[in-house]
Amino acid sequence: MPQALAEVSDKPQGTARPASRAPRSTPAARTVLVRAAAVLVLLGVWQLLALAGFWPPVILPGPVQVWDQLLITSDAANGQGGYAGSTLLERLGVSLRRVGYGSAYGILIGVVLGLVMGLVPLVRAVTEPAVTFLRALPPLAYLSLLVIWFGIDEEPKVYLLMIAAFPPVAVATATAVTGVNRQYVEAAQALGASRGHVIASVILPASAPEIITGVRLAVGIAYSSVVAAETVNGADGIGGMVLNAQRYNQTSVVILGLFVIGITGLLIDTAIVGVQRALSPWRGLV
Amino acid sequence: MASDATALADLVDVEHGYRTKAGAVPALGPIDLRVDPGEFLVVVGPSGSGKSTLLRLIAGFERPTAGDVLRLGGTPVPGRDVGVVFQQPRLFPWQTVAGNIGAALRWADVPKPDRSRRTAELLAAVGLAELGPRRTWEISGGQQQRVAIARALAARPKLLLMDEPFAALDALTRERLQEDVRSLTDDAGQGVVFVTHSVDEAVFLASRIIVLTDRPGRIALDVPITLPRKGISADELRGSPEYAAFRGEIAAAVRATVS
Repeated sequence: MPQALAEVSDKPQGTARPASRAPRSTPAARTVLVRAAAVLVLLGVWQLLALAGFWPPVILPGPVQVWDQLLITSDAANGQGGYAGSTLLERLGVSLRRVGYGSAYGILIGVVLGLVMGLVPLVRAVTEPAVTFLRALPPLAYLSLLVIWFGIDEEPKVYLLMIAAFPPVAVATATAVTGVNRQYVEAAQALGASRGHVIASVILPASAPEIITGVRLAVGIAYSSVVAAETVNGADGIGGMVLNAQRYNQTSVVILGLFVIGITGLLIDTAIVGVQRALSPWRGLV
Repeated sequence: MASDATALADLVDVEHGYRTKAGAVPALGPIDLRVDPGEFLVVVGPSGSGKSTLLRLIAGFERPTAGDVLRLGGTPVPGRDVGVVFQQPRLFPWQTVAGNIGAALRWADVPKPDRSRRTAELLAAVGLAELGPRRTWEISGGQQQRVAIARALAARPKLLLMDEPFAALDALTRERLQEDVRSLTDDAGQGVVFVTHSVDEAVFLASRIIVLTDRPGRIALDVPITLPRKGISADELRGSPEYAAFRGEIAAAVRATVS
């Protein structure tokens, strides 16, 4: 009897998906091409402006000078160990490590706090203004306090990035948790799921896409705060390099630093979006 | 009569209402109803007669505003002694088809080594043995509802509650699923409460039908359905004169509730 039932051929509902995905490859390739062309045009205009000499190189160095700085600061054997003792790559590693730790702690705190905020209205009522308050503060403002409390080593830098990173995750998680479809929760309860099961196996996975959007914001904010975090005894990082170069009017190094931060930030964001797609392939389909 | 522990569900003087800005709106009752093991009770009634509310009270999702609801002698709480199939399949999209059933088995404390075998058995029982690794949105609506039924049966609940489970499906799929449900719930001892607004579906499935009146829903008719089911095909059953007689009686009762 069941074999006969298996042959019922009602139409699959998921057909919309391959249909809408397949033709995207050509426009995607075109998008990449258009973007590359736009970047090249901008670089060309920039180089022309620099060559025209409206401004001295200390105000506007050209892309070629910035490229030269990339090669110089990446060269450990250039007599100053890259730039002021560390190569560009070492600096990038140091900064990414700070951002990594700061974001990781921030995300952990944000998810846990957001989960509790979403599940217990009282906690939300109490903590939400505090989280919003913290969010409004520029990281540079609370760095002073962190330095007084924790000194000038790694702790205040990681803590600063953590404080910058956790509010968007907490807010995104709390919103996602309150917005979880009650229907899934009821279905799980009727299957014998305990409260812990419901949280771990329904509420968290159902919230995952929105939580990751919060993570995306958080990592972006943490990364953009790295220059602030490295204003005190952070000369070994990429932000430290920018600050140092500014002191000596090495404009091309400043611009190089901005490009390195911007491009790696873009790559990190792309990676997070990839993780989001992999973790929640049902997004927009259910 | 005092409630009997062997009743799967026992409702005494049950009323339910909803609070709105305009005041309390009675939705259901007063109702007395007892569901015994082996019964396939179908609840028929017009929209707004409180059919779904009745089911949600037995499931433990809602508490009655008056009266007592007992399930297996205790206050109902959603849990594994009851299986619920909703109008929407409510499959977890973050799990595969097999993962949905695996979760139900895990929550029912089925030991890990047994779960994959039980998952395969349950999927085979609803005719979807091949679909375990698929994503829930990649399969058809009818297949999704089959998975939902398999998932609801995972913990071998004594009572299965089904809230218009086939309302969103096309007529052919619907008939196949009705036949499916009949064969899956033939187990003696298990009870089913099935809510529908389709008289045909009710007569085909039921061992007993209650018809609810318009809001607030009360029991207008309570009849046992005695159709010969052994050794007769679904089509023969649907074509039999006895079936037509029951169909006429129930349809008349439903029409009377709305006039």
